[in-house]
Amino acid sequence: MRGPRLLLVLLLLTAFTLTVLDVRFGGRSPFDALRDGASRVLGPVERVVGGAVSGLGDVLGGDSAEQERLRAENARLTAELRRSDDLERRVAELDRLLGLREVADHPRVPARVVAAGSSFGFASTVTLDAGSRDGIREGQSVVTGEGLVGRTLRVGPTTCTVLLVTDPGFTVGARLTRQGTVGLATGTGRGLRYELVEGGRVEVGDALLTTGSDTFVPGLPVGRVTSVESGATSLVTTAVVEPAARLSSLDLVAVVVEPPRSAPRAPLAPAPAPAS
Amino acid sequence: MRLRRSALAAALVLVALLVQATVLARLPLPGAAPDLVLVVVVGFALAGGPLPGTVTGFAAGLLADLGADHELGRTALVLTLVGYLAGLLADDGARSRLLPLLVVGGAAAGAVTLYAAEGILLGDRRITGEAYAAAMTGTVPYCVLLTPLVVPAVGALVRRLDLDPLRR
Repeated sequence: MRGPRLLLVLLLLTAFTLTVLDVRFGGRSPFDALRDGASRVLGPVERVVGGAVSGLGDVLGGDSAEQERLRAENARLTAELRRSDDLERRVAELDRLLGLREVADHPRVPARVVAAGSSFGFASTVTLDAGSRDGIREGQSVVTGEGLVGRTLRVGPTTCTVLLVTDPGFTVGARLTRQGTVGLATGTGRGLRYELVEGGRVEVGDALLTTGSDTFVPGLPVGRVTSVESGATSLVTTAVVEPAARLSSLDLVAVVVEPPRSAPRAPLAPAPAPAS
Repeated sequence: MRLRRSALAAALVLVALLVQATVLARLPLPGAAPDLVLVVVVGFALAGGPLPGTVTGFAAGLLADLGADHELGRTALVLTLVGYLAGLLADDGARSRLLPLLVVGGAAAGAVTLYAAEGILLGDRRITGEAYAAAMTGTVPYCVLLTPLVVPAVGALVRRLDLDPLRR
C-alpha cells in the first residue's frame, strides 16, 4: 500500500505545481505550447466527431419542423405587432435595426459548434470548427442571427474556443434600447445579470444591445430582461436577462473577424435650404 | 499485462474525453452536464485498484485541463484523488452493484467541491454559490445515472485483459 500512497502524493504535488506555475506566468504561460499542441491534435478529431454528432443532435435535442415554423411565425407576428406599436417602440426597433445593420457591415466567418466544455458544470464554453487559418483571432464577437453568443477565447489553427455570454467569466457593456441607459451584463451560468449603476429604470421585457468596445461590435442584441430585482436600500438595480441567442441548441454561428476600430458612422448632412 | 492495461486506460480516457466534449457537454440538459471522464476514472479504479486509479486519474485530468478554460492541473488534482480513493474500495466494489453508484455519487460531489475550493483559492469568478448549487444538483445525479452504463463495461474490459484484476 505504500506504493500507491507515495505516487498519490507525488502526482498531487505535480498537479498543484502545474497550477501554481500556470497562475504565476499568467497570460504568457509556458504551458500555452502544450495547450496549442492539444488543440492541434484534438481539434481535427473533434471537428470530425462533432460534425457527425451535430446531425444526430438535430434529431435528439433539436427543434422539430413544426416548432421551427411556429417560431418563424411568432417572429413575423411580433414584428407586425411592433410595427403598429407606439412611436417609442418604433424608435427602439429602428435603433435595433441600425445596430444590426452595423453588424452586417463586418466580415464574418461562418462556423459550426463541434464540442463543448463544462469543467464539472462551472464553465460554459463551446468549440467551433474554424480557427486562425480562417482569420479568427482571440477576443472577437461570435453571433447568431438572433444575437450575441460570446467571444473567442483560445484560437487553434482549425478550431477555436468560445466563451458563452452565460459564463460567469463573461462581461459585456450593454445599453437598454428604450431608456438608453448603459450598464454591465455578466454571465450567471444560466443567463445574464444586468447591473445599472445610475439607478435607472428597467422593466421586464426590455431589450439589451452591446454598446461596442474593442471586442464587441456595437448594436448586437444581448438579451431580454425577464425579472428585475431592485433592492430598496441598494443603489444598484439588477435585472435578470435571458440571452437573445438560443444557447442550448447552438449549431451554426458566425465570428465577426474584424472588430470595429471605431463605430462606423456617416457625417450628418445639413438639411437642404428650402427653395424660395 | 501492465502495458496492455495502460493502453486500455489511455484508450478509454481518450474516448471518454471525446464523447464528453462532442456529445455529453452539448446535450440540452437542464442544469449541468454529466462528467463521463470522472465515471471512467472511477470505473477503472474500482476494477484495478489505487495504483492504476491514481495514474489514470492524473492523466485524464491533465488532458482535460489542456482543453479547458482554467489553470492547468486543477482537474488533474481532483481526478488523481478520485482515482486513488475509488481504488481503495476496489476489493469491495468489484462485484457489487450498489457500491459503484455510491462511489460515483461521492466522487462527483467531492470533485465538484474540490474544484470549487481550488477556484476560490485562485480567485475564479465562476465559483459562486449559485454555480456550486447548480453543479451539485446537475453534475452529481447525471454522473450517477451514467454509472450503470459505464462502470460495469470498464470493469469487464479490465477483467478480459487481466485475469486477476485485483492483483497489485
